[in-house]
Amino acid sequence: MRPVADPVVTGTGVALPGARCAADLLALTYGSARPVPEPWPSRDRDTRFKDRATRLALMAGEAALTAAGLLDAGGPTVPGEEVGVIVSSNLGTLDTVCRVTETLDRDGPAALRVVNLPNACSNATASSVAIRFALHGINLTLCNGATSGLDALGWAALALATARARRLLVIGVEPAGPAARHCAGASGTLDGAAALVLESADAAAGRGRATLTGYARRTNADAAIAAAAAAAGPAGRATGCGLWLPPQEGAIGVGAVCHPDTPEDRAARAARAPRPGFDPGRRDRDTEGDSHHPDGIGYATVCDLGRALPPASGAFGVLQCVAATAWITAGTPAGVPPTALAVAGGGRADDAAAALLLSAAHHAGAPDEGEE
Amino acid sequence: MTQVLITGAGAVSCLGAGVEAMWQALCAAPGSRPLRAADPGARMPLPLVYRAPVGTGPGGRASRLAVMAAREAVGDAGLDDTDHARSAVVIGTGGGNADHWERPLDPGRTDTTPFPVASAVAAALGAGGGATCVSNACSAGGFALAIAVDMIRSGEADVVLAGGAEAYSRVGLGCFNRMRAVDPHACRPFHRDRAGTILGEGAAVLVLESAGHARRRGAARHYATLAGSGWSCDAHHLTAPGPDGAQIRRAMTAALTDAGAPADAVGCVVPHGTGTRLNDVVESEALGAVFGERLARLPLYSLKALTGHTAGAAGALGVLTAALILDRRTVPPNVPLGAEQDAQCPVSLPQEVPVPLVGRHAMANAFAFGGNNVSLVLEGRTP
Repeated sequence: MRPVADPVVTGTGVALPGARCAADLLALTYGSARPVPEPWPSRDRDTRFKDRATRLALMAGEAALTAAGLLDAGGPTVPGEEVGVIVSSNLGTLDTVCRVTETLDRDGPAALRVVNLPNACSNATASSVAIRFALHGINLTLCNGATSGLDALGWAALALATARARRLLVIGVEPAGPAARHCAGASGTLDGAAALVLESADAAAGRGRATLTGYARRTNADAAIAAAAAAAGPAGRATGCGLWLPPQEGAIGVGAVCHPDTPEDRAARAARAPRPGFDPGRRDRDTEGDSHHPDGIGYATVCDLGRALPPASGAFGVLQCVAATAWITAGTPAGVPPTALAVAGGGRADDAAAALLLSAAHHAGAPDEGEE
Repeated sequence: MTQVLITGAGAVSCLGAGVEAMWQALCAAPGSRPLRAADPGARMPLPLVYRAPVGTGPGGRASRLAVMAAREAVGDAGLDDTDHARSAVVIGTGGGNADHWERPLDPGRTDTTPFPVASAVAAALGAGGGATCVSNACSAGGFALAIAVDMIRSGEADVVLAGGAEAYSRVGLGCFNRMRAVDPHACRPFHRDRAGTILGEGAAVLVLESAGHARRRGAARHYATLAGSGWSCDAHHLTAPGPDGAQIRRAMTAALTDAGAPADAVGCVVPHGTGTRLNDVVESEALGAVFGERLARLPLYSLKALTGHTAGAAGALGVLTAALILDRRTVPPNVPLGAEQDAQCPVSLPQEVPVPLVGRHAMANAFAFGGNNVSLVLEGRTP
């Protein structure tokens, strides 16, 4: 895919214990989550009948829309027809469906609460977000396994390039309700959401610090990375890669059974990480200090959210890009390319891998990176 | 703009397996009665469903339906192994493999996502261009086709296998029973006594292909061009359409614009028409706003009167029906309503005999809970 003009990230938001904002994702380490506020996720009069995934998505979505300047006093600051919603979640409706199943088995349909029934619908979260914020643009729900979050951003870029929308709120969410926890097994599952607002360059009008320069989904990580680099074009490749966000192991995929990857799988995937077409960046800091990433690969810094968070499944790619946006926005040291590469999927339980490139936006008249 | 052709098609529904079986059933307009769900656990007042023939085998029921339709579509298009390997897959489904997760969960089993339908199609057919599962409830199949068109137009893919699939869902049926949204007799869109919808099983998969690719590989034929789509969201209510139909109207108008077709070029509409009271009225009014006084003469083909509401497959089956209507230049007779058509739905539903198609274009609508609307416009072959 080669968008007409690279879309711009104009706002981000998170709803995640341990992270108050996007920048906190960069500092997360596994087990560092702050105490979970009770009840989590929060519930108010408007959301008392919403499922867990929807409440998480509303929290992250509101933060991202506000940060983008698209929300004021609860309503959109631009025509609602211009703003669409894309939600990625693999387990979002599972709790509701399992609860309805149990009630049907035990007591029959008369025992079902009507107010809860819409939550069994696969697009309940995306629709609820649109209803809450009066967003009449395109409304999509993707359930695409481990790559789903990056795929959602890829679809957003395509929708902007084809003028289906001018602005899109992209949300990745996974709720840790009882059924989702059961499905996730011993590895657990994320209980949170991340969101970002992606706008066409024209709509962004100079706002935003990061652009989505390339995305691809292929049968393996190598092919996806190469295709994303190709989509970014020569200018995108020339900047190299300053931040690498590797895939997460053991998340819910679309294979037959969810398997945690073995150390051998991890090593093999890390060894594949050097990307054809990328200039090696200076590897001056490795946030995890781990040893399974080989020397000499084309990145300067690693943000391994997959190790910092429980399996995030359909939310993972959005979390990666929210973190990458924070990293780009903070500015990069001299010599480090302001480009982030996020990769998801590619494990044994996954049917595919996806890769996405974010780079610093270059606005006419904008200050240099790091000057804000 | 890249022209996107429908070069192959596959379908399975209560009308049978295969596109020709479907077309024969449409032309026969036999009237159609739902069956009792083959599920001992469906303990509810109206356990009715339009069941589709689906074989046994690995994978969930929705995946198997989708693979059946996809195999037929690929064979119909005459794609070779090289084309397979490069094809992308986009499949819409509302409930996914409901048979795999609508049960008390086995404590010893941890499962994968309920939505592997697109991935199953890609694996079964060796399609390596990426698989995407769209889960926009009852408009998912329509969105999948619209997305596939955008992929081809943008140059991301030359060939996409796209469509929708839906299988029986105990939860879906239970919820509709609880909402008293199941008609006790049949799915009767635009009928004055309609009392809700009846869900159906089915799948439709189309081979969408850039005209250039089809020409280079010597594709034998194409049914129609998938010329445009329009997308919108009511943002009104999770289960009720926006009463003014403004966003439905916007989707239809945008689809016509995208296709470069004036409203008077449309010779037939396959409406969303589910048999729920408000939806049919709102859609009729929106059609009136788009097509004006011509609505009284514009033939509609009410597919769900035969297939039931196939949810995530409905949009794809609707587009396939529109493609067949353009291909055969014939609008099949609707299931007879006679004087029992709702006066609040003043649409034209030709009955008893087929009607020759007039016009180069056809439209198919797919709407969903949450107000997720997509309209698609198809263009027939040049005579």
